[in-house]
Amino acid sequence: MSELTLLLLRIGFLILMWSFVFAIVYALRSDLFGTKVRRLPVAASAAAPVAVAAPVAPVTVAGSGPARRLVITSGAKEGLELPLEGDQLTIGRSADSGLVIRDDYTSTHHARLMLWDGTWMIQDLDSTNGTLLSGKKVGAPTAVPLNTPVSIGTTTFELRR
Amino acid sequence: MNSTEPGDGRVGGTVDLGPPRPTLTEAITIKLRTPAKLRNLELLLLVFAIGITGAAVVLVQLGAIGEIDTTVLIYGAGLGMLALGMHVVLRITAPDADPFILPIVVTLNGLGVAMIYRLDLAEGLEGWESAGIRQMVWTAIAMAIALAVLLVVRNHRVLARYRYVAMLVGIGLLLLPMLPGIGQTINGARLWIQLGPFSFQPGEIGKIALAVFFAGYLVTARESLSMVGRSFLGMRFPRGKDLGPILIVWLAAMAVLVFQRDLGTSLLYFGLFLVMIYVATSRLSWVLLGLGLFVSGALIASQTLSYVNARFAAWLGAFDPENYDAIGGSYQLVQGLFGLANGGLIGTGLGQGRPNIVPLAESDFIIASLGEELGLVGLFAILGLYLLFVARGFRIGFNGTDDFGRLLAVGLAFVIALQVFVVIGGVTRVIPLTGLTTPFLAAGGSSLVANWIIAALLLRLSDTVRHQPRLVVTDDE
Repeated sequence: MSELTLLLLRIGFLILMWSFVFAIVYALRSDLFGTKVRRLPVAASAAAPVAVAAPVAPVTVAGSGPARRLVITSGAKEGLELPLEGDQLTIGRSADSGLVIRDDYTSTHHARLMLWDGTWMIQDLDSTNGTLLSGKKVGAPTAVPLNTPVSIGTTTFELRR
Repeated sequence: MNSTEPGDGRVGGTVDLGPPRPTLTEAITIKLRTPAKLRNLELLLLVFAIGITGAAVVLVQLGAIGEIDTTVLIYGAGLGMLALGMHVVLRITAPDADPFILPIVVTLNGLGVAMIYRLDLAEGLEGWESAGIRQMVWTAIAMAIALAVLLVVRNHRVLARYRYVAMLVGIGLLLLPMLPGIGQTINGARLWIQLGPFSFQPGEIGKIALAVFFAGYLVTARESLSMVGRSFLGMRFPRGKDLGPILIVWLAAMAVLVFQRDLGTSLLYFGLFLVMIYVATSRLSWVLLGLGLFVSGALIASQTLSYVNARFAAWLGAFDPENYDAIGGSYQLVQGLFGLANGGLIGTGLGQGRPNIVPLAESDFIIASLGEELGLVGLFAILGLYLLFVARGFRIGFNGTDDFGRLLAVGLAFVIALQVFVVIGGVTRVIPLTGLTTPFLAAGGSSLVANWIIAALLLRLSDTVRHQPRLVVTDDE
């Protein structure tokens, strides 16, 4: 075994190790760097929530307890609903999210719903286009009343009991 | 909103509404699962990982003895079979588990085995004498226990119920080496128990039990720990009566420092508690308070306890002949640094350096051995793997659906991160040298078993996270 072969083999081994590291990073690329998010056109972001918000007055439904389901009221999958189990639901484009929204305007980890003392709160996770709660941008964790539209990208949903 | 039913148009038959859409009243729940995709990715990376292990063992043989013999099969194929067995079980019991954890852990474990085998060759050890064979047996045992954890813990929330049992187990394991008869002092630290021919470090398992207890306890206690208190210097400091838990953990950490004479373990337990209380309450004041307590405790210990004092002296004045020649002085540390310097940027090549000069090169100083033969480039690849492992742990915690699972995932990932920092920081003279083991790499059964259990728990947690009811909204239909 000549010196040169050993030198090449040992450099090859270091390349092998790094290609393993980069193979994992490549598989994780959307998780580490996020996906490319387009800015929502201003007109659309302003108009969409108003149209939905107009007919809905916050209705207080008889009975108590937190909302148990999430219903999509507009967007590509209008009408679908998702039972709310556990005490948190992540929303975003990443496949790990509880509610996966794949459009050009949704960030990888966009927002999350959290159950705090029997109330669902929504928190925006520093997304590009923001999260709208009845037309207003959400900053700090905000309580989500029942039957109030929440808009993320081109999708709007409400929480129902 | 329900007044305009799309169904109205279809009944009339004159208005074309396109494909029928689900109405609001229709409840459709889509449970999307893509197990095969994740597991296939894992298999691909696992083949890569086994390839790296095999290549490392082959290079060790070429470098050290100049030829390839059948030992390659014991190490390369042995680890490969074990890893593939684990992969098959994951396909059945946890199909949605994170696909990166197993390949990363197998790579680190394999690199460790290759380096230990290389040191065996240098020492001329063979058969059951050799640390490499024993490490392989421990790897098999550790993987079997990890599998048992995966099979028994089908839902991590069960663990929250046993948080006080976990506390008792954790404290019991911590105190076990203090018992006369089975307790054993090795290199000045009283951390081992001797059962027949085996010696074991129960504190390694204890850290997992304590992580479970801290997560369970903080979920219930975090309200009172985070909400009340008075503001001072722009931060909210806790009330006096809420200081109880942190003082108890601090006292326990100091007791480890004084009675078991181990700085690293003490730092590990206390650091784990601090990070978990910070994550649970998001109050920076807890971290400042805790760091203040620990640093003052360690400073007092460095003045009063001779072994801590010696560690500090060896750290600050490693190259003083006085410390270098002292028994238990800085000889080991300095030889490790010489080894790293000898390796340089791309290393001397596996099997071609002289890492065996450093005492305990296969356990405490395995990072110096790997650094000598793989160089800075190789060492950074290893650090990159640890970084990815810890990042996966934090991500699993972030996506968790319940507070207990989130805290547990963060705590377990942080245990690995803190161990890596304390060990590599000690070997490279960033902090005083302490007696922790490098996770997955270092020779030693208890640490291998404990860290494989951590990997198994993270796999189980990630499986539950992805198993939640999910809804996917795509635009392109």
